[in-house]
Amino acid sequence: MGTIILIAIAVIALGWSFFKDKKKTKESISLASKLFKNTFTEVFFLMSLIALLLAWIPQSLIKSVLGNPNELLSIAFGASIGTITIIPAFVAFPLAGSLLKSGSNLVAIAAFLTTLTMVGFATMPIEIKYFGKKFTLIRNGISIIAAIFIALGIGVIL
Amino acid sequence: MSLVKKHKLKIITLILYLITLIYNQDIFIKSIYTTGGYLKEMVQILPAVFIVSGLITVWVPKEIIIKNFGKDSGLKGKLISVFIGSISAGPIYAAFPVAFSLFNKGASISNIVIIISSWAVVKVPMMIVEAKFLGYSFMLARVILTIPAIMIIGYFTNKFVEKEDIKSKVNGNRYEKYILEIENILPKFNCGGCGYGNCNEYAKAIVMESESIDKCSVMEDKTKTKIKDIVCKVSEKK
Repeated sequence: MGTIILIAIAVIALGWSFFKDKKKTKESISLASKLFKNTFTEVFFLMSLIALLLAWIPQSLIKSVLGNPNELLSIAFGASIGTITIIPAFVAFPLAGSLLKSGSNLVAIAAFLTTLTMVGFATMPIEIKYFGKKFTLIRNGISIIAAIFIALGIGVIL
Repeated sequence: MSLVKKHKLKIITLILYLITLIYNQDIFIKSIYTTGGYLKEMVQILPAVFIVSGLITVWVPKEIIIKNFGKDSGLKGKLISVFIGSISAGPIYAAFPVAFSLFNKGASISNIVIIISSWAVVKVPMMIVEAKFLGYSFMLARVILTIPAIMIIGYFTNKFVEKEDIKSKVNGNRYEKYILEIENILPKFNCGGCGYGNCNEYAKAIVMESESIDKCSVMEDKTKTKIKDIVCKVSEKK
């Protein structure tokens, strides 16, 4: 759904640009294709590395770690797993759902889901390429802290 | 040596895949399958993202970005940033080029952090899936807490990171100031269209080797005049 909207926006904007000014459109496209060439292989190899990592770590391990009876420990584990890995949403939510059913800690799951999407160890090399080391480290660092607070907040609300 | 360094990631990945293939074929096949899924997502999303970034760079005037996303844009700027992030598709790495092109047009650090974070977390289609598996109250609680949290993350990142931290790459050189000045007004897309590896190298070449300033195809005429002024200052010093 979101993908279709994004592609539609790109196509409409490109069409508008072409109608308005062919030279500027050519510039945008050459810029886009250079960006694409620059980033694509790197992202691809990063993602295949993550895929390999995920294949090696069995889901049962994630389950046992997030279900740790020590609440604080399970939050820490949830946040770290979420930070290190990138799991696509369509895998992560069903996994989180089954974890919840099997009695995992709600706060740990919230920490896991929030860091999973907002903090990316795996995507850090790409972020550094655009924004430099300092920005990347600080943004991700603060996000981890915020994610833990969000998780604790959910624990209070629910 | 530099070739190995440049392709470090690729080499490591290929070696690990090779080891996996020898050691455990099931995991190898599973990894290839997941990579295929990622690849499909990348192919769907990245071209559109890059086209939008390219169009922003070429078309949108700096003044508009500064007004809506600059450091004085206030709460409105933050809300627009959340909105832009949440309607966009794709994983977090797709947010970087868009946020970067906005940053170079004058968006504040706090607002680009908000765009990146909400791009990753606040997603309507994802919320529906989340509610389905974890319940509406869980989903709503997470969204309600996340949006203010994202603004706080933006605020603090803005506190600790200077604009120059993003724009400059340090090099010890007495013309460094001028190189930096030129680099800062170049489009900073590191597209390599000028024949140099990135904008910094091109800026260096302009200052040190009197390289022509007409090589950048993305530069606006206004920028060119500014660079000319800096080059004049440099040649006075030489």
